Amino acid sequence: MRPEIDGLRKAMREMEYVAEPAIATAVHLARAMKKPLLVEGDAGVGKTEIAKVMSRIMETELIRLQCYEGLDANTALYEWNYQKQILRLRIAAEKGGDGEDLEEIIFGRPYLLERPLLRAITRPAKAPVLLIDEIDHADEGFEAFLLEVLSDFQVSVPELGTIRATHRPFVVLTSNRTREIGDALRRRCLYLFIEHPDLAKEVEVIRAKVPGIAERLAREIAVFVGELRGRRLMKPPGVAETLDWARALVMLHRDRLDARTVTLTLGCLVKDRHDTGELGSEEIGAMVGAVGQTG
Amino acid sequence: MPASTRRRTADLVVHLAGFSRELRRTGIPVSPGDTIDAAAALALLDIGDPEEVRLGLRTSLKVEPASWDAFDRAFDRMWRKAETHPSRPDGARRRQPPRPWPGQGNPLEALRRKLEREGLTTRADPAVNAGRPGYSPRALLRDKEFDPSVPGDLAEMERFLAILARKMATRPSRRLVPTPGGSVIDVRRSFRRSLARGGELVELARRGRAVEKPHVVALCDTSGSMDPYSRFFIAFLLALSKVLRRTETFAFNTSLTRLTPWIASGNVADTLKRFAGHVEDWSGGTRIGACLLEFADRYLRQTVAPDTSVLIFSDGLDRGDVRSLETGLLAIRRRARRVIWLNPLMGDPRYRPEARGMKTAIPHIDGLVPAHDLASLAVLLPMLSRRSRCRQGAGGVGKAGVIRSAHEN
Repeated sequence: MRPEIDGLRKAMREMEYVAEPAIATAVHLARAMKKPLLVEGDAGVGKTEIAKVMSRIMETELIRLQCYEGLDANTALYEWNYQKQILRLRIAAEKGGDGEDLEEIIFGRPYLLERPLLRAITRPAKAPVLLIDEIDHADEGFEAFLLEVLSDFQVSVPELGTIRATHRPFVVLTSNRTREIGDALRRRCLYLFIEHPDLAKEVEVIRAKVPGIAERLAREIAVFVGELRGRRLMKPPGVAETLDWARALVMLHRDRLDARTVTLTLGCLVKDRHDTGELGSEEIGAMVGAVGQTG
Repeated sequence: MPASTRRRTADLVVHLAGFSRELRRTGIPVSPGDTIDAAAALALLDIGDPEEVRLGLRTSLKVEPASWDAFDRAFDRMWRKAETHPSRPDGARRRQPPRPWPGQGNPLEALRRKLEREGLTTRADPAVNAGRPGYSPRALLRDKEFDPSVPGDLAEMERFLAILARKMATRPSRRLVPTPGGSVIDVRRSFRRSLARGGELVELARRGRAVEKPHVVALCDTSGSMDPYSRFFIAFLLALSKVLRRTETFAFNTSLTRLTPWIASGNVADTLKRFAGHVEDWSGGTRIGACLLEFADRYLRQTVAPDTSVLIFSDGLDRGDVRSLETGLLAIRRRARRVIWLNPLMGDPRYRPEARGMKTAIPHIDGLVPAHDLASLAVLLPMLSRRSRCRQGAGGVGKAGVIRSAHEN
């Protein structure tokens, strides 16, 4: 293993992020090759967390663009500060200034509001981490627009001209796969798919994120959640749910799983009515029994 | 860089090109750009660590989880082997004919030609089919001659669907576009306009919600009993995908194949030829249930959103088990806006939906519509454009075999 990759793994581990080799390798390559990293996987497997952890490791700013249907260039890129512009016009009208000069002034940088994408390429000191979260929720048109920004790292504002990146940001895009990401955008990135963690990794994550948890409980939780994921639920629990549940159990001062506690706290883990219906008290009893034997 | 290292790097790049070719052969799409990325990645990886090389290549070649198994097998064949025999004498290198890039050529077409050459036109031959890696026993590939009259049908179909698509464009998007009298004030444009009047806001520019065309996923049965209607369906699908750009198309009989990438081209004759090459077991039996389940497992999340209409073209003559048909339909319906079954048999006034498959499906679909000619599709129109979803299942079939359809709510 390359020392850089191992180093990155350790650094991420220090930030309480358990990165398996696949993740560390992908992040290392994306950084070294200066390419955006497209991260896919089910909800709650730690996609967004990668960007957060990397911004802490690189000791730089995290700029986040949350995508949603209807997100447009105005919201993502820049907007003019209209109030300020109008104010300037009023002042000029009272003083009776020259119109042409005025246009140059009110369409200048001080009147420009930077939105995440523009902000990400104009940081003066060092390259930030740009997180484009849940890109699958944005329209396809927005994807095409993003492509332009991500390939050249420059933005053209009609009134101002082209703004080039002072530093290339480290870009992380995440997707829940609710729709297929276009080929063009995918090809522009490196690709990482994060699976649900295996037992050992999940125990490690729980112990890293929930201080003071007994090792046996952490293990039992991981076994139980792993068992749940094997059951083809509508919404299988992610690591985020596991951690919520672990914290809840610690708060309730439990050090082992028992059927009653599991039933009462199941809402931390299973968040779909159909799924809750599938898990009767007998089912849970049997599962807890099985977990107890492995632990 | 010492000469030996340089040579080793050059060898690696050659090897990588071969690996990309191998991946394409097994059906994993790899573009030249991906190969360049992978070459750059190799320089940043510990070449002595096969696991690291595997993960690095997977990331830089953008391999999706659905193809991981095939990728790993190809990797084991080409990289682990290369590891044990580090230098290959030049004699071992065989000249291979250049392979087409994805999108233009068609690997299955080659297989189909091979079958044809060997006279395997009617019966499936497991020995031949087993030669293709990564696939379970293959169904028969048969070459279908397409009637040259299709382009004419197609033009008519396109005219019809163009009207249809305009009428179907009723989906209000969350995207805001300039609209006179829209509900949201567009400050940027208002302000721009005001500059002409010295900064006086005389009229406000407005924005409103864009209206979008519906998203459609079509699943078509290509089994033998559907043969008489296949040409009609293909014309319908080609026209549909031209009019509604986000249409996804799948064909099924005993297995499911995604056809969307192959109907992008504008050339109809070519597309039809591709179809024959691509759908496995074109004209054979049907296992609707198993295929719908496969669709639900593999494609549902990516292709079907809450505003998607799913069209199933089938006569409902199924030889698979009914339970999986039910489960599959349930899963699809839970996610889609509506599921509409288009049945060509309904062209016959004596038809009753009594086939086992059809009977099972009826409670789980939003509409059952005849689909044997252009005129019959007219019933589909109002169903697709209706905003609310038809909830309580199929409308059922009237005495005359005409759709009585759903719930005028």
